[in-house]
Amino acid sequence: MKKQLTQGILAASLSIIAWSCNQSDPKPKGSYTDGVFVTTMGNWSDNNGSLSFFNREQREGDIDVYATVNGGSLKGGVQGYAVLNGTGAIAVDNNAAGQDKVEIVDANTLEKIATIGAPDIENPIRVAFASASKLYVSCWGSDVSNYSTGYVAVIDLATNKVTKKINIAKGPENLLIDGGKLYIGTTSFTNGKNLTVIDITTDEIIRTVAFDAAPTPIGIDANGKLWVGSGIGISKVSTDTYAKGTLYAGADQAKLASNFTFSLDRRTIYFVLTSDFSQKGKTYKVGIDDSQINVTTPFIDRLFTGLAVDPKQGLIYAGVTPSFVQSGYAVRYRTDGSVIDSVKVGANPTGFVFR
Amino acid sequence: MTAIGFSIPGKLIAQKDTIQLAPVVVKGFVPERFMSGLKVQKIDSVTMSQFRFQNLADLLLYNTAIAFKNYGPGQLSTVSFRGTSANHTAVLWNGLNINSPTLGQSDFSTIPVAGFDQVSVQYGSAASIVGTDAVGGSILLNSVAPAHGLNVAIGRQQESFNNSQTQAVAQYGTSLSENWGLSGKTSAYYGSMKNRFPDSTRRDARLLPSESFQKGLVQDLFFKSKNNHEISAHVWLTSNELTLNPRNLAGRELTQTEAYRTMLRYQWKDFSVRTSWVRDILDYATGDYSTLDHAVTDKLAGRVEKDFHWNVGSVGSIQVKAGGDWTHFRTRVTGYEKPEITENRGDLFLLTRWQSMSGLLVSANLRQAFVTRYQPPFTPSLGVEYPLIRRVNYNLKIMGSVARSYRVPTLNERYWKVLGTPDIKPESGFNKEIGIEQRFALNQSHSFTASLTGYHNRIKNWTYWNPGQSFKVENLQEVLARGLEAQGGWNGTFGVFKTGARAGYTYTRSSQEKVYDAYAVDIIGKQLTYVPVHSGNLNAFVSYQKVRLSCQVLGVSRRFTRTDNSLFLEGYALTNLLAETTLDWNKTQVRIQGQVNNIGNTFYLNVRNNAMPGRSFAVNLLFSYKSQSKNVQEN
Repeated sequence: MKKQLTQGILAASLSIIAWSCNQSDPKPKGSYTDGVFVTTMGNWSDNNGSLSFFNREQREGDIDVYATVNGGSLKGGVQGYAVLNGTGAIAVDNNAAGQDKVEIVDANTLEKIATIGAPDIENPIRVAFASASKLYVSCWGSDVSNYSTGYVAVIDLATNKVTKKINIAKGPENLLIDGGKLYIGTTSFTNGKNLTVIDITTDEIIRTVAFDAAPTPIGIDANGKLWVGSGIGISKVSTDTYAKGTLYAGADQAKLASNFTFSLDRRTIYFVLTSDFSQKGKTYKVGIDDSQINVTTPFIDRLFTGLAVDPKQGLIYAGVTPSFVQSGYAVRYRTDGSVIDSVKVGANPTGFVFR
Repeated sequence: MTAIGFSIPGKLIAQKDTIQLAPVVVKGFVPERFMSGLKVQKIDSVTMSQFRFQNLADLLLYNTAIAFKNYGPGQLSTVSFRGTSANHTAVLWNGLNINSPTLGQSDFSTIPVAGFDQVSVQYGSAASIVGTDAVGGSILLNSVAPAHGLNVAIGRQQESFNNSQTQAVAQYGTSLSENWGLSGKTSAYYGSMKNRFPDSTRRDARLLPSESFQKGLVQDLFFKSKNNHEISAHVWLTSNELTLNPRNLAGRELTQTEAYRTMLRYQWKDFSVRTSWVRDILDYATGDYSTLDHAVTDKLAGRVEKDFHWNVGSVGSIQVKAGGDWTHFRTRVTGYEKPEITENRGDLFLLTRWQSMSGLLVSANLRQAFVTRYQPPFTPSLGVEYPLIRRVNYNLKIMGSVARSYRVPTLNERYWKVLGTPDIKPESGFNKEIGIEQRFALNQSHSFTASLTGYHNRIKNWTYWNPGQSFKVENLQEVLARGLEAQGGWNGTFGVFKTGARAGYTYTRSSQEKVYDAYAVDIIGKQLTYVPVHSGNLNAFVSYQKVRLSCQVLGVSRRFTRTDNSLFLEGYALTNLLAETTLDWNKTQVRIQGQVNNIGNTFYLNVRNNAMPGRSFAVNLLFSYKSQSKNVQEN
């Protein structure tokens, strides 16, 4: 239930990973080599989330591409999706214990390659590729009442087995890989305040950095600085010294800034400022050199359950959730905040992956 | 237990066609006599006996037009009657609504067939007769006073997956004095569903590990005097414990429901009074069971009613029932705005029935309910039945009804912290229906029954936990349900073989009709979730002496899982085969029944998107002793 209320936290890191891997050259075979994937949670107790897909030029998409290709649906909420080269990894979170999994797929055809399930993977949230042979999966672990047994699972993609669990308390969530480091945030449902930094060659914790509230690594800006959201704070952090300066989205500590995404030039951060367990909110932006956050005028006067910028076109993709039991929409905006169009996707869209 | 009992519609017509002009003392718990124009289907004793080790959802699924939303074997099973939601079916135990007051619905998986003697299904709105929730229909569970003598039975079902059901029942009747007689029933049941499926997946879909344990105790006592005094006492204690993932200590999920239901009733000629106390307890926990989410609701109720009769010469007979009931609720739920909430409800009703010499039957019923801090709508209804053709071998009856209905908001809808709306309006419905029933006897050996009913039911102020308003509950939607129900039956004899079949087809079109936000446009006119457009069932048997072979078939078309119909669960068909025989030694009987469920090993998914089990087997044994010779008692 708690999960359902704030499923909307997006792995901004995903788009960055997708971006970097889009640089690769010859066009691979498959129906899903060019377009937009949307991770959708569906209705929590119905286990009917999906990976939706559409081509940028089209107004209609496929609500569940995994089912289209593989016959059956994923049978859970899709918490995260990441792609590197020809491989994709889908984090599937089922309402019942023991039914969670990570599906490894061919990223171009969406054909299933392997399933890694419980007890290796429990309540998976986000996925991030360290390399073509190594995948990280943040997992809340088995104890979702106290968030005491969370970990980041390290998967060897040669064998599709979990080779290590790096214990992270308080519900590890968003993952960001940059400069040989993995940054791990925690869920806002807990009182966790530490951003954990991992060396991706040794898979050892090299540092924890304390914030005001549960941290969310956002990305690396045009100047090479790490940005981290926590509560209503958005901090610019040095990746060497971890010294930080924080801007605040207003003064209401009951609110929460989430769904962060960088603009194409990585000079602006768009985000949603929510209240009432993420059920109300509006969308704002802040520049990386700004001295304060303007919360008097929203960038877009709407609440979104997901937000991302397409690295190919620079357009803003926003997830709209009218209800958990009806189709959601991916709405496209220009960078001036004007709306372009929308595409129907699965229920409760929370993240975007661009190819 | 006779083969003739298999054909329900036939029995019904026969019953209702009898023109009875002498004053009748109505002894039933539910005034079914005032349901003229409505379709009432009584489940026959053979079917009851076949399903005695199963739950009410299974029984109704295979024998009526009702659809269910099922979360898995032994798990939550909620009803959808005539395209309405789980909140729109009244479940009455001896006339008392036993839907959970907090949720406003019943979990049919927690109601075993062993818990009651008789069940009738009343189709369509009958809120003027039975009160709140009877929007799509009502399920009437009744206790029946046993005849004189002693009946004792012990039964056991052993099923695949390490599942079993055990039950023991004693029925007794005796004279206490020259004037007074006593009869009663004591029964106990215990069910253990361990669900140890041989495979953890079917076609790539997981089966969810779960266990459920169910136990119950039923006690009925009837004191009857020769000068028309009757006192009866009824107790039904139930407990149901469901655990998902029982062997996963951190991820297990416990849902424990208990209900104590008690009732005392006194009737003297045309006057009756009834009091009842029901306590519903719900406990829920995940992982660590040291602190349970605990909810207790007490319901104290009373009811007084009086019948009047007049025979007005050529006009026919007129019967009137006037009465009132009151209910006091006291509930303690962790999520409510106050630690303890009380609510009072009252109802006044006037039911009338006029039966003319021509066979015309008219019921006009009025009800006004009163609820703490607001008033539900005035609820009238009018029902008419008329025998168009009455011949020895052919009967045709036409019937119709126009009725208002209402649903008092659940305690959750009114009192849940922040999300509840204390002044939420009751839902109100307007139901119209028309139907025909016919019975045709070809010859001594073969008879047929057929019925067709069409309905149109519009429900306004349909409540909706609005995600656009942080899930606050609001009267936003309006649902239009319409459909057709066709049922046919055949009983035949071929020499030494007796045969019969009964088939039902249901067409249900139920849709949301009101725009309440920008995205509601996507769901206007779309079929409600988990309501199949087409469903049907078939029951057929052939018997030779005491050996009987039966076949049950159920078909359900796709069920949408999204309100905009963008996603659905595939339709499916299930077939079960049963074989039974009875061994007789004077007063002692052993009934042996073998059962193959889902013989085609059909793959289908439940609401959780988990696979349902494949083919399974069950053996049922029932030992019984009757102090008097056969056919004294049919239950």
